[in-house]
Amino acid sequence: MAWEYSDKTRALFMDAVQGKPGTHMGEIADPDGIGEHGSIACGDALRFTFRVERHATDPLQDVITEARYLTYGCTSAIAASEALCALIEEGHYTPIAALAIKNEDIVAYLDGLPVQKIHCSVMGAEALQAAVFNWAQKRGVDLEELGVDILPEEKEEGRVVCKCFGLTEPYIRRKIKEMGLHSIAQITNAIKAGGACTNCHHTPGGLQDLLDETWGRSETRYKESLEPPTPPGVPAAEPSPYVVAKRIEQVIDEEVRPLLQHDGGDIEIVDIKGNIVYCRMAGACAACAAADKTMKLVVETALKDKVDERLRVVAVT
Amino acid sequence: MELIYADNNATTAVAPEVREVMAPYLADDYFNPSSMYEPARRTAHAVEAARATIAGLLGMGDPSELVFTGGATESNNAALFGAARANPGRRHVITTAVEHPAVLEVAEEMARQGFAVDFLPVDRQGRLDIKDLIRALRPDTLIVSAMHANNETGVVFPVAELARVVKETDPAILFHTDATQSVGKLPVDLSGEHANVDLLSFSGHKLHAPKGVGGLFIRRGSRWRPFLVGGHQERNRRAGTENVPYVVGLAVAVELAARHREKEAAHLASLRDRLEALLVERIPYVAVNGREAPRLPSTLNVAIHFIEGEGMLYQLDAFGICASSGSACTSGSLEPSHVLRAMQVPFTAVHGSVRFSFSRYNTMAEVERIAEVFPEIVARLRRLSPYWDTERNTPRPEALAMLESTASPAESADRPSAHGNSA
Repeated sequence: MAWEYSDKTRALFMDAVQGKPGTHMGEIADPDGIGEHGSIACGDALRFTFRVERHATDPLQDVITEARYLTYGCTSAIAASEALCALIEEGHYTPIAALAIKNEDIVAYLDGLPVQKIHCSVMGAEALQAAVFNWAQKRGVDLEELGVDILPEEKEEGRVVCKCFGLTEPYIRRKIKEMGLHSIAQITNAIKAGGACTNCHHTPGGLQDLLDETWGRSETRYKESLEPPTPPGVPAAEPSPYVVAKRIEQVIDEEVRPLLQHDGGDIEIVDIKGNIVYCRMAGACAACAAADKTMKLVVETALKDKVDERLRVVAVT
Repeated sequence: MELIYADNNATTAVAPEVREVMAPYLADDYFNPSSMYEPARRTAHAVEAARATIAGLLGMGDPSELVFTGGATESNNAALFGAARANPGRRHVITTAVEHPAVLEVAEEMARQGFAVDFLPVDRQGRLDIKDLIRALRPDTLIVSAMHANNETGVVFPVAELARVVKETDPAILFHTDATQSVGKLPVDLSGEHANVDLLSFSGHKLHAPKGVGGLFIRRGSRWRPFLVGGHQERNRRAGTENVPYVVGLAVAVELAARHREKEAAHLASLRDRLEALLVERIPYVAVNGREAPRLPSTLNVAIHFIEGEGMLYQLDAFGICASSGSACTSGSLEPSHVLRAMQVPFTAVHGSVRFSFSRYNTMAEVERIAEVFPEIVARLRRLSPYWDTERNTPRPEALAMLESTASPAESADRPSAHGNSA
């Protein structure tokens, strides 16, 4: 599917891959803040680092002077990473002030993103939060005391709701509230939750339940019935009794195989189901033009005579 | 900039010969083949001549076994749902995990309707194990549907053998194959090698006919009921006024493909093999999906570790090169290719798969151009990747550990190639 990207998104991406001056690809050695979001299994991942000009006495007056990223992801993930770094460097923010940069700002910088790609901007905002959290630890800043509510660790805590992307209940709840997500489709576009196997959509404690608990239960909500009805009790193929199988093996071992081995060939029982014995010719027999005939004449006749006249042999190559 | 079209498993250019033969039916010969007057007889004859041509080339016993459809998706829907309608006592469907969505999602829909459905797994090379098929067969099995050649990887299933085993087990089980990618590229002989195939779907636009036309072979005597009703056309098996110009074009397209098949197969294989060799030589950490399996000569699917497919396609596009990817970002959903996941392609590479697929119109010069441009594109994206050490041109140690934890020893292509310098 061709995504419709803005000219800005296209330009940022191409500049980034060509390593033009002014782009932000890379990783700062010994950074003042480092944050990561996503994973290779999910299809996108971002490592974001920044450097600050340290204030002599008050870490809260540190100013971010340089921001860099390494991104595994698609065109818009890379462009969103560029946008994040550009926004931060242009704004001369303190780390705390940088937290005001939300995914909407990244989208605006890119002149919009296709709805299916909003999660790329969210990834940027999340990595930024994680990096600020990391800076705070390094600089001995108590974010809680400042009333800054960021919990980058929360994704690791709590019950996993979306197993495909490893997203937990606290994280999804926070995003539903923060971003004003009102439907499963909106959740998926924003943070990818529910976007792959869809199993978490309507299960107890799933995405719909989290939406209902946040916004109240909607009477008209759409309830898919994705659960396949239990298939009617169709009996499986009757396995042939153990004794019959044993007898078949015995006849093949004692009467058929010696014959074939005499000619440099062999035979393998692939499976026995009902009255059908599936056999594969091996050795010289496998390449023999008369293999099919041998199968019918020698193997099937022997089994019909010695075991059960209803038995049939099907050759497998 | 010259366009290099290397996405022929998605669709193909309409052959000039096909356009030419269609033209009169888009102009003066517009009559409804069902009408009674003389000019309409000409269009009716054109449709029947096209049917006879295709039936002959695919080895059908009788032209009436071919039903024209709107394409392979319709043919696949008709094959499976039509089989179900005619055999109400049979409630079990067998297909494979790597089918095109036009079969896979029909099977999933049948599961929602109460059918038991088995999806046969494939190995890391994309191959079926016939033992899995034998184990899955049941007394109430309705249909077995297995594609001839895979659209993503080009891996070819031994449908003649699969069909034979199914029909020898129980002649009442229908065997269907989606031959969309193989008609015109691989031999299809419904009287000979494929005499046990009951239903076969194919499409026009994969073999240089236009989009919107295809066919469904329904072997005479098969228990099958129409899917589209509402008219007597196609002997009551597919209602709707015949798509005369497209049907006429389809016949010429099949004829061209069949007449030149062996020569074209050799040409396609030379292009594919050359590109494969060059990419493996020039790109470290590249794997060829389905390399050990029998494959269509036209298709190369490479997995590039540690970068994502869409960014590669986007840059190829900037060079005028059209290809496709199994990455999540190009799938329309957030899920990467079901085919590559069924093949257990390591997750470090599943998002980084790129497919090049060739046709008779591609040239060796185009292949050389792709092989010149693509390694550089890979190198650029890897410079941006958090998993890649650009200075040493190798994955970072932690990424390498991920790779080793997911790769099997058999995946020799996962290891860096001998001349692994992509710079």
